[in-house]
Amino acid sequence: MKNNKPVFTAVGIVFFIAPLLLLLLQSLSAPWRFQSGYGVDWKLESFRQLIRDPYLWEATWWSILIGFLVLVLNAVVGILTGKALSSYSFKGKPWVEALLLSPILIPVLAIAMGLHLFMIRLGLADTMMGVVIIHLVPTIPYSIKIFHNSYQQMGKALMEQPHILGAGFFTQLFTVELPLLRPALRSVTFLTIVISLSQYAITAIIGGGQVLTLPMVFFPFLENANASLMSAFSLWFAFVPVVMYILVEVILLLLPYSRVPWRNHR
Amino acid sequence: MSSITLEIKQITKQFHSDLVLNGLSFQLQKGEIMSVVGPSGSGKTTLLRVLAGLEKPTNGTIYMNGRDVTKQKANRRDISLVFQQPLLFPHMSVEENVAYGAKVSKKYTQEKVDTLLEAIGMTKYRSHFPSEISGGQQQRTALARAMATEPEVILFDEPFSSLDPSLRQGLRYWVRNFLVEQETTAIFVTHDMEEAMIMGDQIAVFQEGKFQQIGAAKVLHESPANMKVASFMGGHLILNDQEYVPLQAIELSSSPFKEDTQTFEGTVEHITYQHGRPIAHIEIKESGAKVPLPLTNDEQLQNEVFLSIPVSSIQRFRGTIDE
Repeated sequence: MKNNKPVFTAVGIVFFIAPLLLLLLQSLSAPWRFQSGYGVDWKLESFRQLIRDPYLWEATWWSILIGFLVLVLNAVVGILTGKALSSYSFKGKPWVEALLLSPILIPVLAIAMGLHLFMIRLGLADTMMGVVIIHLVPTIPYSIKIFHNSYQQMGKALMEQPHILGAGFFTQLFTVELPLLRPALRSVTFLTIVISLSQYAITAIIGGGQVLTLPMVFFPFLENANASLMSAFSLWFAFVPVVMYILVEVILLLLPYSRVPWRNHR
Repeated sequence: MSSITLEIKQITKQFHSDLVLNGLSFQLQKGEIMSVVGPSGSGKTTLLRVLAGLEKPTNGTIYMNGRDVTKQKANRRDISLVFQQPLLFPHMSVEENVAYGAKVSKKYTQEKVDTLLEAIGMTKYRSHFPSEISGGQQQRTALARAMATEPEVILFDEPFSSLDPSLRQGLRYWVRNFLVEQETTAIFVTHDMEEAMIMGDQIAVFQEGKFQQIGAAKVLHESPANMKVASFMGGHLILNDQEYVPLQAIELSSSPFKEDTQTFEGTVEHITYQHGRPIAHIEIKESGAKVPLPLTNDEQLQNEVFLSIPVSSIQRFRGTIDE
């Protein structure tokens, strides 16, 4: 087999590590121009300024909470729908699949005003639950697709095996399905948290300024010409999904039959 | 007196307009092993899925130890099913796979798992993952996993069909002895008649949604119920829908005239060897039927031959399905 490791390492360094390093360097230094005659001026001022923002921590906690709720709802709906789609065959199934994917074909902003009126009627406007529900629109179709594919890969027969051996719904879910769905859960975690964190317009419309998330603090900073401050904020923004991903990974380790270091191996 | 473990009464299963199971009825005593043979697509797997609880029958009743379990879910039935593929859980080791069934059915003891691993010769590989063991080892592990739940009945759906012939031969005897030792009632589905004869105490020939005949291999061979059974068993020349003649009664000769015989003209198409004996594959000109006839080693054959059938050896199909 061809060894692609050096290529992977090179691509990883050029497209992932290098930009991140540049961002880190920029956040820790004053703007520097080529041939300006000055050396790099190292300072922590941008991070100090960032921390001083009165809304930063509030927005971070709200974002984490909303992100987790969106993730949990995505996992529940995605797993149940994905399993149903791979287990049952019925008339009009391709139409149902297309319908479930349709929310990502229409820009959420196009329906945001209508949804806002709907949320007002339900009493969900300007609430965290309203924001969580609106964040489901651009994320749920991806989750359903990912879990549907994973269940199809597993195969119907492998799903029937634990049932035949005597496992009930939850035993089967936690001992066989979730451990085998681990790669799908990782993808959904990153995807939903990043999409949820990036929503500015629909969060502003449905949250009505009452629900403060990171983009709502971040976007006004865009007018700021201070590249160091922008870099610091970008790092802060990127740090949140990484921390949440690590937390989810720790939770996944608690699943039965996980390959953890303390599990017996040859 | 042995007790009835599994009893099926008038089971039917219909998919849209297809009647896959057509009023099946049979019963199995404790420890009895029945082989079900039939052509591909005849509905054998559907029968097992209905018995296991993975499919609901359209009509009919399933009793286990006298209790109606027709509406019971698969995980509540004391029945295990070993599929064509081993379907081991890839994230569990061999030992965890075997213990899984016992744990979920609340019959787990470490001693039992150790005994089963010993019985299938997998003690050495207990901490290996399924991807690290061979196909035969995987199938043995799948069998031990099914046995660990201590089911009243085990159903086998062509479990050896994906294995190579030498491995298949060894596993057949191993599984048969294992089931006999444990006194486990079993139904073994296959399309291979030889396998059916090795595995089952009795053989049920299944075609067109129903059993064409149920009986011991000897009974099926010596007095087949109808053309379908005779044709599936092999070993007979079917003369018409009423009569047949056992192949061993047929004589090959180069001249057509013999007293008290019915004679057919045939063409030798191939000579093959089976179990050390030459077999002539002959096409009968009149009917186009092809028959494999065992030859004596020193027999010299022309291309054109006559098949002489003593009239006294012509038999009629018995018509009834049970012994």
